[in-house]
Amino acid sequence: MSASSSYRQATNFAVFLGPALVFLLALLVAPIIVDLVVAFTDMAQTVTINEFTTKQFGKLVHASDDSWLGFELRGTFYRALSLTAVFVFLTLTIFNVTFGLILALTTTALPDRLGAFFRAVWLLPRMAPSVVYALLWIWVVDPTERGLLNQLLVHGFGMAPVNMALNHPMALIVISNGFIGASMGMLILTSSIRSIPQHLFHAARADGAGSLSVIRHVVLPALRWPLSYITVFQTLALLVSFEYIFLLMGSSRSTMTMAMLAYTKTLAPGIGSGQYAYGAAITLILIVIGMVSALLLYRLTNMKALLAKPRIEVH
Amino acid sequence: MILRSVLSAGVALATLGVAAAPAFAEDITIKVWSRADRSGPMRPGNIVEAADTLNNMLAAAGSDKVVKVELIETNNKGFDADALDVLKAHSVGDSPDIIVAAHEWVGAFAQAGLAANLEDHIKSNPNLYADVIPTLWESVKFKGERFGVPQDSEVRMFFLNNDMLRKAGKSEEFIAGLPEAVNAGEFTMDDLCDLAAEVKDSGASELGIVHRPNVGPDFQMAMASFGIEMYNAEEARLQVTKSGLKDYYSWLHSCVEKGAIPADMTTYSWDSVHEAFRGEKAFSKFHGIWNLGPQLEAFGIDATDGDAYFDKITWINAPAGKKGGEPKNMSHPVVYVVADTPNKDVAAMLVALATQHVPNTKHAVGTNHTPVNYGQAAMPEFVEKGWGLIAGVPLLEYAEFMPNHPKIGQYNAITFQGVQAVETGEMTPDEAAEMVVEELETELGEDLIVLD
Repeated sequence: MSASSSYRQATNFAVFLGPALVFLLALLVAPIIVDLVVAFTDMAQTVTINEFTTKQFGKLVHASDDSWLGFELRGTFYRALSLTAVFVFLTLTIFNVTFGLILALTTTALPDRLGAFFRAVWLLPRMAPSVVYALLWIWVVDPTERGLLNQLLVHGFGMAPVNMALNHPMALIVISNGFIGASMGMLILTSSIRSIPQHLFHAARADGAGSLSVIRHVVLPALRWPLSYITVFQTLALLVSFEYIFLLMGSSRSTMTMAMLAYTKTLAPGIGSGQYAYGAAITLILIVIGMVSALLLYRLTNMKALLAKPRIEVH
Repeated sequence: MILRSVLSAGVALATLGVAAAPAFAEDITIKVWSRADRSGPMRPGNIVEAADTLNNMLAAAGSDKVVKVELIETNNKGFDADALDVLKAHSVGDSPDIIVAAHEWVGAFAQAGLAANLEDHIKSNPNLYADVIPTLWESVKFKGERFGVPQDSEVRMFFLNNDMLRKAGKSEEFIAGLPEAVNAGEFTMDDLCDLAAEVKDSGASELGIVHRPNVGPDFQMAMASFGIEMYNAEEARLQVTKSGLKDYYSWLHSCVEKGAIPADMTTYSWDSVHEAFRGEKAFSKFHGIWNLGPQLEAFGIDATDGDAYFDKITWINAPAGKKGGEPKNMSHPVVYVVADTPNKDVAAMLVALATQHVPNTKHAVGTNHTPVNYGQAAMPEFVEKGWGLIAGVPLLEYAEFMPNHPKIGQYNAITFQGVQAVETGEMTPDEAAEMVVEELETELGEDLIVLD
């Protein structure tokens, strides 16, 4: 009896959790282990390992007598770190959180159909294949008068044409990534707003609350958890995001974030790639940065408490 | 019972069939790895045709063997990405038999054990190889031995639009004398930028000089003009001089300052680079001889009318960096590499057949690449349609090759970082030179010599 029950337990485990476990191991754990191993080798273009070494990490720093650690970050690496920080911070705060929130608030305040229409419009960038989306952006910011932006500026406002890719590269990648990122915040926050019991709104109105007060005292408190979630999730996503940066800017120095640097050194076409161990070392540092920021944000946003008990339910 | 015996007979037959198959093998499949490249469809195509020739020979000799070619055409954007892919395939034991590659990868291929040493093959088949232009063999050498066979060669140049020069008030004598002035070291890189800026400021063109937007051999040609010798062949190490880099980047900086090179040149797409010159917006383009075909088409010039073309366009080497110096050119041959597989002898013979005059001329004339054999220049097809290639030969006098060093790709990528940093105004020439030398030292380590 007990044997058959434990057998059933084992088969149930294999049937229900097996696929998820295989998925987890093959696609999430294995790559990290491979990365960890490769980062400590000399694997380069010939894809062979001749020795185990820490020299890849040595490439990121150089000896310095002034620094109390005895070394300091090399220019390229320091630059990649700062560009990553700026890119993640700006995209996250301006678009993924703030703009997502504004979209959710405004589209839920509109009549249902109109709101759904605007949400659908904002989802378009996410639905478009990335190459198509990037091509559209390339046309928008084309530095000549062919570009949409310059047509507007020159013919609409009589201004001189601008060259976004050359003069405002960070703004370009923040905006183009933000337009995609905002839709995710919008969706999650919209469904959270929808799940607030209607009677709370009626009660607030009955008490004489205006629209702003309703947002401040009824809606925003209910959004704390989804907002924290979006912040943590999108921080991690943006840290490793390079797809649109590469499609729009190529291997340009002005937008060489950590993820782009790792891609450039390993797989990007035609820019001295093939340094797999070096790229793995950069990726490993990125993984550590991701873990630390996730834990920090988890702590800062007090997610533990929020995860424990649903706050939206009103008893 | 009957069913079982039928089944077991079937299994036995099948087993026998599988086991016996290799004994009757008649097909030898040669895998050819090549990028699907608009600028050279006959590179793999000539191998396919060589297999037909070889099969005719085998049939005549009464052999029942048939050589088949399996083409592996990749969609890689450039030769570098393609070479990395073939190295990956090799690392998992999936090597092709013949690889069409850019010559500078020969070193990495040999080091990885992918490329077969072809010295014996070439020496034992003098009748197939003796007419190959000797300098081209340099491009396939790694540590003094040949690991490939040149497939084509080329010259690079600054294309200048004569119509714009005329519009800017330049005399016919001045225009006609430019190539000679460049070769004599009188007309320098700085003069070229001044000229481009003058043409642009006169309103004769929208843009001055356009160059490639990404990493590539053209930049090495310009670096060589500023006295940078990239390779120490004796030690098989790459080398660089900080002073040479500073001169080179200062030149780029001043060109951008004068408006002769667009500051965002490195963010252009290839299409917009081509369009700028072919659409007659740019006065000059820094690229290679295979541009001839598309230029003739864009300018509406008859393909056999060399005079009309040279009335409109002038070709010059990369001028010397300093007055009295030497101009430079760079030839960047594409080569056949034979992989060290069990089929390497057959593969090498296919390469030998594809290197012959008739097939190579089909490629050379069809895609405007200079030939690999001396005799090709005398062929009727060449004389009629190859006038551009013949005109390119004098430029070859100043040509150098890229070093066949496994880390040349990284070297090029890092020096290109400096180009980007200077042109976009991110760094001064001195800062860029410092940054590039530091990056080179860090990434190349012992493979680099810094001369000053």
